[in-house]
Parts: sequence; C-alpha cells; structure tokens
Amino acid sequence: MTTTAEVEAPTALEATRLRRAFGAVQAVVDASLTLERGTVTALIGPNGCGKTTLMLMLAGLLRPDGGEVTIGGLDPMQDGASARARIGWMPDVLGTWDSLTCTETLVTFGRAYGASAAEASQTAYSLLQRVHLAEYAAQPARVLSRGQKQRLSLARALVHDPDVLILDEPASGLDPRSRIELRDLVRSLASEGKAVLISSHVLSELDEMVDEAVFMARGVTLGESAQAEVARAKARWRVVALPGQDVHEALSSATRDWSPVEGADSSTAVVQVADAEDAAALLGKLVRKGVRISAFGPVGSALEQAYLSLDQDRR
Amino acid sequence: MSDAVQTAPESPQAAPAQGGARRRTRGALGRPTVRGIGLIAGLELRQRVRSTRWRWALVSVAALIAVVTGLIVIATPDDAYSPGDLVFGLVVYFVLFVGLVISPTLSATAINGDVKEGTLAPLQATTLSAWDIVLGKLLASWLASLAILVVAVPFMGFAFLDSEAHPGAMLTVVLVLAFELLLVCALGLGWSALAARTSASAVLTYVTVAALVVILPILFVLLMLTMPSDHQVTHVYRDYPYGISNIDEERYPYIDESGERFRCQEDTWTSTTYRTDRLWWLLAVNPYVIVADSAPTPEPPDDDSYYYADGILDGIKMGVRELRLPPAVYEDYCRPELSDEELYRREQRDALPPTWPWALGAHALLAGGAVYLAARRVAVPYGTLPAGTRVA
Repeated sequence: MTTTAEVEAPTALEATRLRRAFGAVQAVVDASLTLERGTVTALIGPNGCGKTTLMLMLAGLLRPDGGEVTIGGLDPMQDGASARARIGWMPDVLGTWDSLTCTETLVTFGRAYGASAAEASQTAYSLLQRVHLAEYAAQPARVLSRGQKQRLSLARALVHDPDVLILDEPASGLDPRSRIELRDLVRSLASEGKAVLISSHVLSELDEMVDEAVFMARGVTLGESAQAEVARAKARWRVVALPGQDVHEALSSATRDWSPVEGADSSTAVVQVADAEDAAALLGKLVRKGVRISAFGPVGSALEQAYLSLDQDRR
Repeated sequence: MSDAVQTAPESPQAAPAQGGARRRTRGALGRPTVRGIGLIAGLELRQRVRSTRWRWALVSVAALIAVVTGLIVIATPDDAYSPGDLVFGLVVYFVLFVGLVISPTLSATAINGDVKEGTLAPLQATTLSAWDIVLGKLLASWLASLAILVVAVPFMGFAFLDSEAHPGAMLTVVLVLAFELLLVCALGLGWSALAARTSASAVLTYVTVAALVVILPILFVLLMLTMPSDHQVTHVYRDYPYGISNIDEERYPYIDESGERFRCQEDTWTSTTYRTDRLWWLLAVNPYVIVADSAPTPEPPDDDSYYYADGILDGIKMGVRELRLPPAVYEDYCRPELSDEELYRREQRDALPPTWPWALGAHALLAGGAVYLAARRVAVPYGTLPAGTRVA
C-alpha cells in the first residue's frame, strides 16, 4: 500500500499489467507504463491498438479487467473523485458546449473540480492566455475552428492544475504553427513538474517533445524491445554523395555496417553509427577519402523508424 | 498437488483484497452535492436557453392553451344544469396533455445526446459525482417543463374562476401536474441512459408515457372482459297490474309518477359481472385519474342520488371509486329511493381512501428507479458499457 509520503516521489502514475475487453474484443491485453514527474512520455501505436482505451483507464473513466493503476498513491477504482482530481484528460473526441463561451466552458470545468466561481474565472483567464485563445474568450465555442477547439480542450484538461496530463491525440488537426505552440506548451508543463502522457500520430513532432516513449501494438505495451528499437533507429544515418560517387565502396572499406537505399544508386546508403560522435568521425573519414558528400544526417524520425519497424513485426 | 499446497495459505490474505470494494464491478455513484447539481442544472439551462427558440416555444404553448381554453368556455353549457368543474377540468386535462407531450423532449436525449456530442465524458472525468450530473440534468429539464406549467397557470386560473370547482382544487392540480412533469423528465432521463441512440430513447419515453395514459386503460378493459365472473344477482323490477280493473291495493302497494299502482317483484338469476375491483389499479396510476382523484370536490349533497358527480374531475374520481367496489348483487329498479344495498355501497364508496397517494407513490418509485439507472449509467469508472456506446 502506498502512503502519502510517496506523493512527492518521482513516479506520478504507475500502471501495471492492465487489461480490458469490450465484449469479445480484447482492446488492451497487457499494458504497463510509468509516468515520471517532469517528463513527457509518448504513447505510440497503430490505430486500434488500444491507446485510447488505455488512456481512459488511466483517466479513471474505465475499469480495467485486471491490473493496477496508482496515481500519486491513489487508486482510481477506489478513490474515484480524488484520483480524478489529479488527472487532466484531453479526449480525442472534441465535445464542446456550442452555446457557451470559452470562458464559461473553462469556468464550468473549474467549478466542476470544486473551485469557487472567482478562482475558476481567474484560472480560465490565464489558461486562455496560455493556449492563445484570449481573443475568443467571449465567443461561443461553436465559432471556433478545429484547432482552436483542440486548444480549448487542452485548457479544459488544465483547469484543476493536475499532476498528470493525459493527452489523446492533441496534435491532430493542428496547423504547423499550433503544433510548435503545443510542443512548447507541453514542454513547459513538464518543466513545472507535471507528468505528461501524449499519444500522437505525428511522430516527427513527438521526437522533439518527448523524453520517453511507450510503444503499443495489439493491446500490449512493448517494453525493452521497443526501447532498443528506438536506440537502433537513432543510430541510422543517411549518407548522400554527388552522383557518380561510390559511397557503398567507401563504407565497405571503412568496415561499416551499411545498407543500400532502395531505388537509389551507389551514391546513397544508410549506415549504422554508435552515436553523434561516431557519426562525425565517419563523416571526416569519408571526406578525407575524397567522397563528395552532399547530405549526411539521421534517417527521418527515430520514433517513426522504431514505429515502422515494430509495425512490420506486427504483420 | 504442490500448487495447491502453495496457494492455500495465500488465499485468506488474498480474499479481503479481492472481495468487498477492492474490485468494483461498476463505478461509484458518489454523493449528490447542492453545488454540483446547481452547476450542472445551470449549465444545461444556459445551453438550452441560448440554443433554442424557447421564447417562441412558450408563446406558441400559451397561444395553444389560450385558444383551447376559449373554445372550452364557449362550448360548455353554463346555465342549464350546474357544470361544476367541467371547464376547469377540461382545461387542466389539456394542460396535462401538452405537458406530457412536450416534457419527454426536454430530457429524453440528456445523456445519450451528450455522449454522442462528446460532452459527457469530460464532465465524468471531473470530481463531480454521478448523482450531481444526473440530478442536475433532471432539475434542469424539470424547470424547463415547469415553464410550460407557469405559462398555463393563468389559463387554468381563468377556467377555475369560470367553474364551480372546489377552492382547493387549483392548488392540488398545479402540484400534481408539476409532479407528473417531474416523472416524465425522470423517465426521459432513464431512457436516455439506457438507450444508445437518441431517437430510441425519445420513442421509448413516449411509449412509457403512453403506457400510463392509454395502454393501461386499454389493458384494464381487455383484462376485465377476459375475466368475467358469474354471480347470483337479485333484480327488483316494477310489476303493473295491466288489464285488471279491480286492483288489490294490498297486492300493489305503490303508486308511480303517473298514478298507476305497481308492486315490486324480485327475481334472482345468475348474471355475468366483471371484477373491476381487482383491476382498478390499472386506472389509478393514470396521470389523468391522479389529477382527478387528488382534486378536492364539494361534499356530495345529502339526497337520494346514487351517483353525484360535479363536473369532469369529480366524475372520474367517483367512477374509479365505484370500480373499486365488488359487483352489486342487488339491482333495484323498482323503488324510487335508494335500496339498502345502494345506500351501503354509496357509504362504502364515499369511505374509500383516495388512490392518488398510492398512485403518486408508484410514480415516485418509477421516477426514482429511472433516475437511479441514469446515475448508474453515468458513474465512472465504467464496468460494462451499454451496447453500441463508447466512453468518449
């Protein structure tokens, strides 16, 4: 049994061996994850792998068929409301009360968490500033665009200053500028000590935002193997030389583990490096050998790479 | 074998963890709070007031009731014989009809509609309890339907002054109408919790209201006809000495309205009667009967009439009470005054306790059950989800 002394412990939320079925459909089979204070964790997996179901269980809305969830020492199954008070949940479905203004929406939620009307309106004001909706404060929610509704929904998850934030696809439908703002906001929330779990399909965005990644496939969270896959993906660099240059030959003579790129000639290859240091050393070596390199860098997004290779395993 | 030995000592420790509240099968209902209920009711009303043309709706309702009230006043005779509460009763019944038709729309999509819109789950994720959400929604839909009643009160008051109803009737009628609107709102809420689709819950709410108002009375008649019972009934009729010139005054002791002598003849035979005294409760739970039964009516005059009905509410009240009595076994068509049995039955009937407290009790149970089901549906964390729904 956890005690109040652990409230300040680094672990904000811990889920172990969660499972949940809907009738015959086993949505979550075996999911475990730990969210640390001040970190952002990505939840990555293909559509229908159980991400949303897992998030609902963490948010205290859905009862797991088995397994444990602990939020700051509280069990959402036992201490429903007090556990929910520590969690901010942003659903993937954007439900807004169309005839209420943004301020009213946030005040209503603040008061639903027990704040006084004055406190709630103060919080609403500062949150609208924070998510860049201040100019829409007095507008009814129905006039908001999808991206603006998304930001209102995020502000809604923050009204009670929760320890844990569970964001289900917060970046979908956002324009590039809003995505960058979201990234900055999520990072600043983490720097305030909140634990953030974020699911997204825009993996390249997540790369820059997250500290940890939890991969999920077919209702199972992939632990060590996925971490290894991310590390391996981070070690894959692409080498592109000017046409006519033989990069393959140069890499082979440097005894590097490389592979050709499909559809490209010998001037392009993907090579394994140990780390950035090693990559720099390799580049120097190639240049000294006289290979005229035009591009050299990590292959795409590490998370995307890992995701794709895990997704391939799945098939 | 070794497994059994190993696990056996563990089970007493595991038992308290597994049993009791450790693994709930459904979410906690929590505790209702005035704050929470007020917050949700305020939210719902604000949404409704802004998103609907409620002013026009209320003006239309007022216009409809005004027209019908005017027509009732013109159409009913008011001088020939005392119509009693006829005008008042008809107007009240029309208002009840309007309320029963409109109220289901105010709550029948309250929960499944919000699920569809995606606005329920964020509220469930707050610290509000299931009771807060459900009772707040009930309060909001009830207040909205009370607006119909408020609009109707001036017309009922006008009809009341135009009638000779009991002074207390206006108050009981308004209170009972308000309660019936609450019942309909609760039924709508219950169905909106049970049905996944908003169209289904709306239909089911109307069907439930129709069951109380129309289907149970039909059932009453059908069941009555399928349960005939044979009784020995003594009939007393007038026997006239037709064609006899010398009438024996001792044999024909009575004289009728036109001066003819007659005597009373008894005859007993088996006749088919219907045991309405076993089925009357099917009518008693009818909202229209409750309104009639609960409205106080003037004291019946101390005269020879067996039935004394002062207008429509009193008539329905008397009618249902008469149905509660077992079939008569002595039918006297001979003597002009009431027979002993008729006097006895009248006394019995007037002494019957009113049915409306029981009927309102039954309605309260129905409403309470519906609200409880709704609260269970809203409670998180969800155990089983209703078929065809998702959390968010």
